[in-house]
Amino acid sequence: MAGLSLHALHKTYGKVEVIKGVDLTIEDGEFVVFVGPSGCGKSTLLRMIAGLEDITGGELYIGDKLCNDVEPRDRSIAMVFQSYALYPHMTVYDNVGFGLKLAKTPKDVRDQKIREAARILKMEHLLDRKPGQLSGGQRQRVAIGRAIVRKPEVFLFDEPLSNLDAALRVDTRMEIAKLHADLGATMVYVTHDQVEAMTLADKIVVLDAGVVQQVGSPIELYQRPTNLFVAGFIGSPKMNFVEVTVEAVDADSITVTSKDVASLRVPARTEGVDVNSLLTLGIRPHDLLPANSGAIVGRVSLVERLGNETIVNIELASGAPWLAVLDGDQALRVGESLALAAEPAKAILLDKDGKALLAPLK
Amino acid sequence: MTEHPSSVPDARQRAKKAPPARKSRKARLTAWLFITPAFLAYAAFVLVPLGMSVYYSFLRWDGIGEARFHGLTNYITVLTDPKLLQIIGNAFQLVLYFTIIPVGLGLAVASAIRGQMNGRFGMATRTILFLPQVIPLVAAGIAWSWMFASTGLINQALKSVGLSSWAKGWLGDFVWALPAVGVIGAWVLLGLCTMLLVTGITKIDTSLYEAARLDGARPWHEFRYITLPGLRQEIGVCVTVTVIAALASFDIVYISTQGGPGITTTVPGLEIYRLAFAHRQVGLASALAIVLMVLVLLSIAPVQWFTRDKK
Repeated sequence: MAGLSLHALHKTYGKVEVIKGVDLTIEDGEFVVFVGPSGCGKSTLLRMIAGLEDITGGELYIGDKLCNDVEPRDRSIAMVFQSYALYPHMTVYDNVGFGLKLAKTPKDVRDQKIREAARILKMEHLLDRKPGQLSGGQRQRVAIGRAIVRKPEVFLFDEPLSNLDAALRVDTRMEIAKLHADLGATMVYVTHDQVEAMTLADKIVVLDAGVVQQVGSPIELYQRPTNLFVAGFIGSPKMNFVEVTVEAVDADSITVTSKDVASLRVPARTEGVDVNSLLTLGIRPHDLLPANSGAIVGRVSLVERLGNETIVNIELASGAPWLAVLDGDQALRVGESLALAAEPAKAILLDKDGKALLAPLK
Repeated sequence: MTEHPSSVPDARQRAKKAPPARKSRKARLTAWLFITPAFLAYAAFVLVPLGMSVYYSFLRWDGIGEARFHGLTNYITVLTDPKLLQIIGNAFQLVLYFTIIPVGLGLAVASAIRGQMNGRFGMATRTILFLPQVIPLVAAGIAWSWMFASTGLINQALKSVGLSSWAKGWLGDFVWALPAVGVIGAWVLLGLCTMLLVTGITKIDTSLYEAARLDGARPWHEFRYITLPGLRQEIGVCVTVTVIAALASFDIVYISTQGGPGITTTVPGLEIYRLAFAHRQVGLASALAIVLMVLVLLSIAPVQWFTRDKK
């Protein structure tokens, strides 16, 4: 197994720069997820690692080997495609063993490896079928089997679950997590689904417009986003934002207020923050609680009662739409006024450039 | 009121519904009505002439006078006459040129321009290769006759590179006339095959090629394991069309060599025409036509079987 190292990686198509200098280190055996909105460059970055896209600038190391100009077949990687990319005229057995056949692996060794992969993925009964005779989940399993049978140094997954239905996606996600635990291999996984990212990753790389926005563990990204993009992208439903004015600045906290928010003291980095300057306050929908004396007051515009929780859309005095996810079943009515409280430690403040003023960790 | 009000319309609807047998009879009748115009045209232009040809093939008839029943004599003549057997053999030799060259080159071109399909190079290649298809066969035949002539372009080219001893009247040469006709047919059919194969290759998922590259495939492996199986049905169509074009060829041969020298380039299509309209042996011509039809069917049946959709 091997880690990966990306130094100032660039990719341009003509004059369009899609990857703008990515620096990243992926440790041996780590499960790293590239996440970001459509068109952010995450799949392009993965394909550059695979060797399916040329690298315009920078360096890519797989293990200790500089791989910029190395053919895909010589990179010791395997990739699982969104479309599965199974050879339609071959049986599952031949699909899984194709790479071994090209590598001129002796037939008996090949057979043993194919059957071992089939056993791990519980698809022994599918070996004689062709891809057209398989369900989406089974095809995905075959695609994974084709990857693991070659024992590559690095596994790459390009949105492998996006063609599966919701239930199957959960099952396959668990299987991939188990596979990583069993194989201990380095895995790089691309998705736009943050639930997949949060549940699978050791480390998440958030990308936007070809730039790495933040790298960190799922909880770190959720609790301590470093900028407005990450704060808004990570977490579902997404974080609520509202513009606030600085009322007071202490050594380790900032008190803010606005038309929508009564005075709220938020732990934050205070350097360079002046009284009366404008900041953005961010609070996650799950961190809001109904409280008669709450700092945030709005009018209920929509109530979604799910039984175990209630999702409430509220409109603040400024007209800003906010969302609150309240525990249990809350019998709220559209149009009524709702006061919400937030735990200050879970709120974040962002400066005018969108950088989070995170309080130092204690 | 004992009956539920809502059940009344249902009951009426049920009463109005036709019984299944009557409904299926009506559906069959409708289907036949739709089929009839096409069937009548097919019968008038294919089935009736075919039936008449079969009938004529058992006759000794000059096409004008009284016909006499001749039994299987015409068929025996077709299958035993050395001249007619050579003519049938010529058609099968043309298959090698009409089929292998266009399909082989078409596959090579399709594979080569796969990556640049939508670029200028791909568009230009497709257009250039398809051009022969829009040129009338008669014009193509005449143009190639000039090029193969003693003072034609081919010989001029050979002389210019010091191969004067190779120069000859290609279409009048007993050895080279049939290959020369084959080259003309290959040139004409190359465009059609290339178009079909290039269109087919665009339907192959590009991620298959990428997966193969990651699996360790080299260009030959990609061609062998992805392109060829992916184009199986298009190859089937190309082979079928070109085999029929070779076995039933007439126009190219008629324009370029008229079957000569001797009968070295005579093909069944040309011989049927001669027997029927020059030698007034309508029965023998019909028998040769029926044998040709059977040979065409026997030749393309395995192609269809091999290239059928096996999903």
